[in-house]
Amino acid sequence: MDLPFIKVENVSYSYRGEGDAAIRVIKELSLEIDEGEFVAVLGHNGSGKSTLAKLLNMILTPASGKIFIEGKDITDENMSEEEIFALRKNVGMVFQNPDNQLVATIVEDDVAFGPENLGVPSQEIRRRVDEALSKVGMTEYAHHEPHRLSGGQKQRVAIAGIMAMLPKCIIFDESTAMLDPIGRREVMSAIKKLNSEMGITVIMITHYMDEAAMANRVVVLDDGRIALDGTPSEVFEKEELLRSMGLDVPQCTALVHRLRRAGIALEGECTDPEKCADLIATALGKELGNG
Amino acid sequence: MAEISLREVSFRHGKGTPYEICALDKITLDIAPGVITGIIGHTGSGKSTLVELFNGILKPAEGRVLIDGEDIWAKPKEIRKVRFRVGLVMQYPESQLFEETIRQDIAFGPKNMGLSDKEIERRVVEAARFVGLDEELLEKSPFDLSGGQKRRAAIAGIIAMRPDVLVLDEPAAGLDPVGRESIFANIVEYKEKTGSTVVIVSHSMEDMARYCDRVVVMSGGKMIMNGSRDEVFSQSASLEGAGLDIPQITKLMTLLRDRGIDVDQSIYTSEKAYEEIMKLFAKKG
Repeated sequence: MDLPFIKVENVSYSYRGEGDAAIRVIKELSLEIDEGEFVAVLGHNGSGKSTLAKLLNMILTPASGKIFIEGKDITDENMSEEEIFALRKNVGMVFQNPDNQLVATIVEDDVAFGPENLGVPSQEIRRRVDEALSKVGMTEYAHHEPHRLSGGQKQRVAIAGIMAMLPKCIIFDESTAMLDPIGRREVMSAIKKLNSEMGITVIMITHYMDEAAMANRVVVLDDGRIALDGTPSEVFEKEELLRSMGLDVPQCTALVHRLRRAGIALEGECTDPEKCADLIATALGKELGNG
Repeated sequence: MAEISLREVSFRHGKGTPYEICALDKITLDIAPGVITGIIGHTGSGKSTLVELFNGILKPAEGRVLIDGEDIWAKPKEIRKVRFRVGLVMQYPESQLFEETIRQDIAFGPKNMGLSDKEIERRVVEAARFVGLDEELLEKSPFDLSGGQKRRAAIAGIIAMRPDVLVLDEPAAGLDPVGRESIFANIVEYKEKTGSTVVIVSHSMEDMARYCDRVVVMSGGKMIMNGSRDEVFSQSASLEGAGLDIPQITKLMTLLRDRGIDVDQSIYTSEKAYEEIMKLFAKKG
C-alpha cells in the first residue's frame, strides 16, 4: 500500500494555560496530504492552524497520535538528532513577519544560509542560490541588503532561502498577512510557481479567501478539528457554515450564491471574478470570448 | 469634533544624508470632521508618514499642519497636548502593551493627562466597552490575551484619552474575517456615539469601501485622489494605476463589460451589484 506523503493520525495537542490547565488546540485530528498537492488551510484565529503547521515541521510534538512523513514516523521519541535534522529539512516553513526571517546582510548570503548549514558543497550552493532567486524573481537583488527591500521582496527572499534546502514541502504560515496588495500578488505567484513548476507540496495557512481559491484543496479547521475538506469550489458552497465558523467566502462567490437563491440558474464554479463573470454572461445568453 | 488641515506639507526621510527620500510632496488636505476618512495607498506611498504628521510625531519639512485652524507647531513645547487631541493607534499596536494588567495599560494615557483616579477609572471602563473588551479581562496580563483582544486593548488605551480625532493605522491587519468585521463595527459605533473624527489607514479596499465616508488615495508621496467613497471607487483605472487592488465586485463589473454586458462600472458593493444583475435578468425575462 502506498503511504501518502503526509499522514496525520489522531493527533492532539495542548498548550499550558492559566494555572497549568491544559488548553486543547488540536483534537484527534487526522489528515492526509499527497505529494505535489497545493492545500490551503483556513480557520479563524485560535482554530489551531498554526499549531498544526508547527506539528508538521516538528517544532512541536503531539501529546498523542502520530504523524508520518513519507512513511517515517516523525513523532517517534527514540529518533536520533541526525534523523530529526534530516526529516526537518524535508518540510520548510515561511512565517508571517518578513522582518523576522532574514539573517544575513546580503540577499544571496541569506539564501545560502540554509544549504550551508546542511553541509552542501559550495559549488552546489552557488547553483541552488541562483536557481532559487530566479524562481522567485529576485535575481537582480542578489547583492542587495535585505533590510532595504519591500515586504513582498523580503518574503520572496525567505522563500528562496527555504527552496535552496530543496524541501519536498513548504508550509506558509500567513506569509502574506503583513504585505500590501502588490507584495501579496508577488508572493502568491512565487508560491504557485514552486508548486506547479517544481512539484513542491504546498501547505498554505491564510485568512484571505481569494488566496485559498488559488489552491487545489481547501481544509477548514474549527476548534482543533477538520470541519471541511474539498476543492475551493466545494468548500465555498458551504457559505453559511463558513460564516458560522468566523470565515467568509470571496465577495463574488457570495454574490453568485445570492443570485442563485433568488432563482437565477448559474451553474458551475464561482471561486474567482473571472469564473463568476463567465457564469453570469452565459446565463444572460452572451457568447463567450467575443468581447 | 475637530478638523485637521494640511497646507502644502512636505516631508523628507533621512534629511541631509545621501539617502534622503521625499516621502510627502506638497500635500494640501482637509480631513472632514465627524466622519470616517480612509487613507489608502501601497507600501511606500506615504500614508503612514501622513498620519504621523497629524499628531506631531513628525514635523513637516515645509508647510503647516493645522487643527481647528491653529498651527500645531506654533508652540513646539506644547506639542504633547496635540497628542492628546489626536490619538494615533499605530500598526500592530499590541506589541506596545507593557503594563502588568490590561487595566493599567489602558489607564496609562489618561494618567499622563493628569486626570483624577476616579475619572481614569471611568474612562478605562468606557474605553474597554467601546472596543468590545469584557471587563473581566481588565485584570489579566497582556500575555494572557489573544492577538485580537490585545489589539482591542491597545486601541482602548488611545480611546481612553478621548481624543477629538482618532487615527488608526491598519487596525484590522492580521485578524480573521470576523475579527476584522467586529473591530470596524466598534470603530463605527465609537464614531456614531462620540461624534469623533476618525481616520483609518489601510490597504484593504473592501474594508475601505464598506466603512469609510471619504477616501484619500496616496501614491509616491502625492495625494492623487480625495473625495467621497463613491467618487473614488468609481475610478477603478486610476486606483489600479496606483498599485491598489480594486474591490472584487468592481473587477467583476469590468469583466462583465468585457463580455459585452452593459453594467454600471461605478458599482463596488455587493448590494448594488446584486440589484444591477437582477435587473438584467428581469429584462431578459
